[in-house]
Amino acid sequence: MSDVFPRWTNRLPGQIIFGLLLIGGVVTAGLTYFFTPKYTRVGYQPTQPVPFSHSIHVQQLGLDCRYCHDGVEKSWYSNVPAADTCMNCHSAVRANDPKLEPVRASYQDQNKPVEWVQIHKLPDYVYFNHSVHVNRGVSCVECHGRVDKMDEVRHEKNFSMTFCLDCHRELSPKNGDPNKRLRPLDKITNLAYDRWGDTDNRDKDFVKEWHIKTSENCSACHR
Amino acid sequence: MNDNTSPSNGQNSGPRYWRSLEHKADSPEFRAFVENEFPSGVDLIDDPVSRRNFMKIMSASFALAGLGVSGCRRPEHKILPFSRMPENYVHGTPQYYATAMPTRGAAVPLVVKSYDGRPIKVEGNAEYPDSNGGTDQYAQASVLSLYDPDRGLNFKLAEKNDKGEKSLKVIAKAKVLEQLDGLANGKTHVLMEQSSSPSRARLVAGLKAKGVNFYEYEPIDFSVHEEAADIAFGPGVRPYYKLDEAKAILSLDCDFLGTEESAFQHIRGFAEGRRVKDDHKENPADSMNRLYSVEGLLTLTGTNADHRLRIPTGSVVRVAALALAEALDGIGLDGAEDGISQLRAFAAELNKDFSNSHAVEGDAKADTAKWVRQCVADLIRFKERGDKTLVVAGYRQPREVHLAAMAMNALLGNVGSTLLLQKANPSGNGTIADLVLRFNDGDTLVVLGGDPAYNAPADIEWAKLVGRAGRVIRQGYYIDQTATDADAYIPAAHYLESWGDARTSDGTLVPVQPLIAPLFGGMTELEVLARVGGTESDPYKVVRKTFEGIAGSGDTRWEKFLHDGFLAGSASGVESREYDWDAASAAWDAGAKPVKLPGKNDYEVTFYRDHSMDDGRWCNNGWLLETPNPVTRIAWDNVLVVSYQTARELLGEEAAKEALDFEKLDKKSGGLPGRFGFHSDAGRFYQKVYKLEVGGKTVEGPIWLLPGMADNVVGVALGYGRERGRVGGAAGFNAYRARTSSEAHFAGGAKLTEKPSTTYEVACTQEQGVMDGRPVIREGNANDFNGHKDFVKHFDLDSIHHTTHIPKKGARYKWEKDRTDLASSPYKHNFGGESNGPKLMDPDRQQWGMVIDLGTCVGCDACVVACQSENNIPIVGKHQVAIGREMSWIRIDRYFSGDEHNPQVNYQGVGCQHCEDAPCESVCPVNATVHDEEGLNLMAYNRCVGTRYCSNNCPYKVRRFNYYDYNRRPFGVEDGKRKPGTFFNDDNELNNSPLHPGNKSSNGEWELVRWYKDPSRGSVPGLDDGKKENGEFDPEWDLVKLSKNPDVSVRMRGVMEKCTYCVQRIQRGKIEQKVEARDTDNVKVPDGKIKTACEQVCPADAIAFGDISDKESEVYRLNRQNRNYSLLGFLDTRPRTTYLAKLRNPNVNMPDYYDIPNSTSEYITKNHGEIFGVNANAKKAEELQGKESSH
Repeated sequence: MSDVFPRWTNRLPGQIIFGLLLIGGVVTAGLTYFFTPKYTRVGYQPTQPVPFSHSIHVQQLGLDCRYCHDGVEKSWYSNVPAADTCMNCHSAVRANDPKLEPVRASYQDQNKPVEWVQIHKLPDYVYFNHSVHVNRGVSCVECHGRVDKMDEVRHEKNFSMTFCLDCHRELSPKNGDPNKRLRPLDKITNLAYDRWGDTDNRDKDFVKEWHIKTSENCSACHR
Repeated sequence: MNDNTSPSNGQNSGPRYWRSLEHKADSPEFRAFVENEFPSGVDLIDDPVSRRNFMKIMSASFALAGLGVSGCRRPEHKILPFSRMPENYVHGTPQYYATAMPTRGAAVPLVVKSYDGRPIKVEGNAEYPDSNGGTDQYAQASVLSLYDPDRGLNFKLAEKNDKGEKSLKVIAKAKVLEQLDGLANGKTHVLMEQSSSPSRARLVAGLKAKGVNFYEYEPIDFSVHEEAADIAFGPGVRPYYKLDEAKAILSLDCDFLGTEESAFQHIRGFAEGRRVKDDHKENPADSMNRLYSVEGLLTLTGTNADHRLRIPTGSVVRVAALALAEALDGIGLDGAEDGISQLRAFAAELNKDFSNSHAVEGDAKADTAKWVRQCVADLIRFKERGDKTLVVAGYRQPREVHLAAMAMNALLGNVGSTLLLQKANPSGNGTIADLVLRFNDGDTLVVLGGDPAYNAPADIEWAKLVGRAGRVIRQGYYIDQTATDADAYIPAAHYLESWGDARTSDGTLVPVQPLIAPLFGGMTELEVLARVGGTESDPYKVVRKTFEGIAGSGDTRWEKFLHDGFLAGSASGVESREYDWDAASAAWDAGAKPVKLPGKNDYEVTFYRDHSMDDGRWCNNGWLLETPNPVTRIAWDNVLVVSYQTARELLGEEAAKEALDFEKLDKKSGGLPGRFGFHSDAGRFYQKVYKLEVGGKTVEGPIWLLPGMADNVVGVALGYGRERGRVGGAAGFNAYRARTSSEAHFAGGAKLTEKPSTTYEVACTQEQGVMDGRPVIREGNANDFNGHKDFVKHFDLDSIHHTTHIPKKGARYKWEKDRTDLASSPYKHNFGGESNGPKLMDPDRQQWGMVIDLGTCVGCDACVVACQSENNIPIVGKHQVAIGREMSWIRIDRYFSGDEHNPQVNYQGVGCQHCEDAPCESVCPVNATVHDEEGLNLMAYNRCVGTRYCSNNCPYKVRRFNYYDYNRRPFGVEDGKRKPGTFFNDDNELNNSPLHPGNKSSNGEWELVRWYKDPSRGSVPGLDDGKKENGEFDPEWDLVKLSKNPDVSVRMRGVMEKCTYCVQRIQRGKIEQKVEARDTDNVKVPDGKIKTACEQVCPADAIAFGDISDKESEVYRLNRQNRNYSLLGFLDTRPRTTYLAKLRNPNVNMPDYYDIPNSTSEYITKNHGEIFGVNANAKKAEELQGKESSH
């Protein structure tokens, strides 16, 4: 009878368990790494129809974000500019640059919008509002990173639910410095702004002064 | 005297509000039904995809998933900005435009919200002087009709096939419009609906000069008001009622709160006169108005009346005669003696108690003549006190009743105060009868709007008229019967699509401003008329020219007109006229005829305008169809409504004893048989079908017992039975077939015969969500109020005497220091104090709450439709409603109390109560429903896994579950053709999940295959699959999608939903305030800035919403009224929604005076309570005495 199962089979259960654990571990690790927004979103940098450089427009020319994204203070949505906004300058500057052809075509023909590729996207059950953030001391840079340094825009932060909540939770003094993410309103679009270098504002308690109250509840984003 | 035994034991606790006869009878079926969380069958998923099948398909698709790796790639989304930015446009912010919805003789001034060019929500124009921003249910639902996929999409011309049969074929617009050329002559007859548009009047006048003949037809016509005023006060005036200033109102079959023209304005006026603003200061007995109602049907007005006399509709003229005689007698008028005796002789029958055939002989309460006498005496008393009163007659009543009502107003001194006589310009157009007379064979018939083929009186014989016509040109919204018979079809534009103008009920000029270009190139009647006349046919220019003729030219004037939505000061002038007794009495003598009293199997039929369909014009509007009738609570159908006594007689005495004898049923285990109410399948109504025969015409319909109807009267709603349209095509039966032009509103000599062994299922929401045996509505009499201001605190377990089960003095939570009893206030929280309790009440945040005033709510259902529009609530269809799956977030409960012949009725709007200690939250296994710091009970759809525990644990039954993907429900198509009435009884379409094997509408293709081919298409049915009907443009339900509010998630199958207090509006209000505040601390949203959809639409202002922690706010003030109570307060759920108790204002001298309202009286008897100084023992003794004396 002893020959029916060879001796090595005695170790089989252990090996199977170990193997399953290993596979399980690898799968879990793989999922956590590859299937979270950190991997799937951060770094997304599609090719745009017009190779627009934020870096040139902001760093060299000194344009404010709101020159083009003019809806950001009024709406939940921060708009991509219409072709006529571009043409304000580009009808004179680089008026014949072939790279700008889609913009000129759109400007001529209403039915030919420039097909920009969307980078930052939230699920449709999330109701994020730009205006309430930028009007209350939260800068663009908190979510979009240093767009002013990018030649081509890439997805900088992971935009997971925790990402939103981390910030919303920080207002409770238990969780660190509640003022860390806030800045004076005239510095909102200054992406390079350093609160600790700004001696006038460094010690101000905006949370208290402006009566800032964030919500960690479902209703803040889901309706 | 206080008996502290728990009154919650057994069925007798709480006042006996009964929501239906079945409930009152308390049959075992009913009990079984109530005890079930959902009616039986609710759990029955009839999806043909079984679990086993599901597993098979799923495993196959997992295997396939490995092959389609490319599908895992992030899909690329494009952002398409404008080429040139429209001025003042900010993407993502809604835009609002002032416009108006034209009605028959008036208009509803509106402000319409538009998102990205799509009109999505209609609100009343609060800037309009005679408005609080409220509207009616029709205006709310009108936006859905804009996106109706069944509307006429194409211009068409008729073609004859080989057999000579006509059928409409799609033809280019320009070609069809050629038909309109050369029509400006005497051989053209134009039939239109009524309209108040001055532009139309101008164009019509121009065409009349060229000989064109014009006629108007409205199946439900309100012009009798104006006709009577022209006789009584001389030509050129029409009455305008100011209900807010009337201290007492007598309605002679005038349903001004429900089915009269501009009812929402009357509701507002009535509520203003009735509202008890502050019961700490004022005495309701002095400040409230009083309403007397005389009617045959049970209408909203009757159910809201303090005294109601039920009498056959045709006999109201006798009441009018007697009332006028009493008024003449009481006030005195020279030379009226003869008239008085004539009127009395006319009304003599009234003394015979004929309206109350069930009444015990000698019952003083049934003395009709005394009722009228005392009512008029009361009106005269008000007059002598210097107060204004008002007598109104309804559109169903003949001219004579209106004359009598106006005479009484003249006697009571109301002309010029509550009854204004406004200048009117009669249109001078002919009637539909004139059309038949003047029409010569071979003439051209142009039909603009309406649907005469469906709703013309039976004696007009429309089909014959069409046969005589040389050519029929039809402009209409649907391809209805009139269109099918026509030679040319022009699709009509919706009022939100094209320019127009109108005058409101007081004559103020309002613009009908479009918010979107005509979706399918449709045309308004203005365009058609202008085109016929060969004048400028751009509707904008037509309207502007009219405006300039009225108000003068200039861009500023015009722009202000469009901005404000009305032209200030353009209301019709008020005329000061004397009542012309000679002319009126001559008209009375000529017209007043005693109508034969109805009797057994000699019934009187009363036709009425429907709360959902109007006259049939909203026939395909799912929101309205699914909103139950406020009185019968029936959705999707019309029924033959009869009184309790008539039902008994129909059944026959023997059978009735078994079926309808409540005394017996209480003891017997039988329950009500299926004859009039319950089938054994609890909660579902299988009604007997009866044949109604009147004047040789017959219609068939299900019978429905409605307590409070006049005996021997059969009520029938018009507007159903269209047989067209995929939403409402199969709803109800067409009552127009039994209606003639001479007896348009009521007709005697009707017979009811049972159709053997036929039943019809009726979807009634009445038995659902019952709060069994609790004092859910609390009410008292105004004249008792001052002595018992705290009466609402004496009910049930939350009464001061009954709070022993709740520990006093802060024992329940540590942080509740000052809590002594529940009744005093559910809100005694420690705002801002030491808080080691739940963080529920953050003192730094605003705390939302709502107060609903039951004293002013009339139950009109406008809030239900507004909520559906605002919150993307799906239409579920008749069958789903019948099995208890309706989705309305706010429902209106209707309760009867008292006797089954003439009960008192109460209405109560119930949405999520936002309990601070919410039972739903504690049972959710996945935390999908939680509280926020502002007191909202939230629902996170993405977390919900559909256990339905929350709904099970909700004492208010306000949670709604998505049993299917209702929002993706496709409109029915069978074999490539539209299938009428798919939303009605056919749930096949609901099963169209991607795993569905496909049905007729998908041409047999598997849904998964269809989905793979085009994922964004959803389950659009087969018309797109190459089977296009005549090559028509068929956008299908993408169109319906356009009506959705982008601020609210569209819920999917398997999640729970419920009222959110319009959280999207709260967030918008808060965000707007914060954006305004910027770097200041001014973040508190001012009171009144955030309005929920139900609050905003409420014409009665019965709903208040705001911050209950703000001492300046309206809700704070209302929360501290004496009448404030919480629904089921003894459960200690601490609802954020509270109610103000209802007060009734009866007259002591009336024969049917009640010293306490029926429900309260029942509560005292059954519950050992003591309210208004009356306790149970005294009450019982009194009742016993009463019984003895009556024998």
